[in-house]
Amino acid sequence: MTHPNFEAQVDAYLDGELATGDARQLETHLAQCPECTRFRDQRVELRAVIVAGVPTFQAPAALRERIREAARGTSPATRAGRFNPRNLWRPLALAASLAVVALGSWTLALQRAAGEALADDVLASHIRSLMPGHLTDVPSSDQHTVKPWFNGRLDYSPPVYDFAGRGYPLLGGRLDYVGGRPVAALVYGRRQHMINVFLWPAGRDPAGPSTRTRQGYHELHWTAGDYTYWVVSDLGLAELRDFAQLLRQAELSTKS
Amino acid sequence: MESRAPARFEDVVLPHLDAAYTLARYLVRNAQDAEDIVQDACLRALKYFAGFRGEGGTSARAWLLTIVRNTAHSWHKRHRPDALTTEFDETQHSDAVPHDHVDAKETIGRALERLAPEFREVIVLRELQGLSYKEISDVAGVPVGTVMSRLSRARARLQDALREEEVR
Repeated sequence: MTHPNFEAQVDAYLDGELATGDARQLETHLAQCPECTRFRDQRVELRAVIVAGVPTFQAPAALRERIREAARGTSPATRAGRFNPRNLWRPLALAASLAVVALGSWTLALQRAAGEALADDVLASHIRSLMPGHLTDVPSSDQHTVKPWFNGRLDYSPPVYDFAGRGYPLLGGRLDYVGGRPVAALVYGRRQHMINVFLWPAGRDPAGPSTRTRQGYHELHWTAGDYTYWVVSDLGLAELRDFAQLLRQAELSTKS
Repeated sequence: MESRAPARFEDVVLPHLDAAYTLARYLVRNAQDAEDIVQDACLRALKYFAGFRGEGGTSARAWLLTIVRNTAHSWHKRHRPDALTTEFDETQHSDAVPHDHVDAKETIGRALERLAPEFREVIVLRELQGLSYKEISDVAGVPVGTVMSRLSRARARLQDALREEEVR
């Protein structure tokens, strides 16, 4: 080796990134140094192997189409709230990749505009709750502390369960305001992820179940028994579904 | 002005979608995640597109790839805090080719996957996407000198991997 930087020099030379003067010098040296010439040839060979063996990928047509759609949309704000059947791709694609997950109860439907606005509301509350000091009004892992805390704050007493044994510890509760009414928000943890469960008495026409993903957050929505549920987290969808399943089971077993 | 921007975005950014997707594929090594990342990145790009003027010779391609790279990194931090720092995990690739059927093509692919992320990305940006050192330096957020040495070290590792395979 003529100097410590030699290999990088040859690489830069082959990449066409070496200044002309340096390139001349290098060429002169290569012409009289078989060892360095061999090194250069190996690099040329390596490049051929990489080009032949490392594929580039074509972006899926559906992805391209979605982005084109987004680019043609109006302002980002209205775009987010617009009903777009193409948004179905995400739950569908995820469903395909999670074939093992029991999808039975999860019809991957998409809400209409009104539901969409509510989902935006829920997401905003979730994100706000993650800002420092906003997560819980009653920080407690004890369901018998959290549940009574809502007395006098809401006109209903939300069911509160702890799933610490299943890896989803209850972290507390919070009073929130969603869809034009005060609601109960229950906070659960999963490793470093936070899960917000919003619930309020179900209306006359139960909606869902549905799944939505926005800004990296998944939102699951369903109506079971007397309550409408919204579950939001940046947790992986499969785990979030497991968690939702726990909630539904808890609800069912209390009923029976 | 507002209404013209989306059309230009299509002209300027969409031609580089395959490059964006390829980079994402090599950064996260999973088709579905790569798709999500590219979508996120493009929506971000769309949001900041008005501010993109190609200053300092930044090409639209390098600009988009920068966003993809950053999106992939923050995605990793959120979903797989350890994934960007750990190297290739054989157990996650149960469909890995049995050893005696390996040819040079598969070897180089696997060797690339095993590279540390900072080496993998410079190889992809240079060899697959033909970016200049300056562009790579913009995308990866490191000085040109670092790009040069990383590329060289990455190539040395790939070469070692190929040689090991030959010896076996």
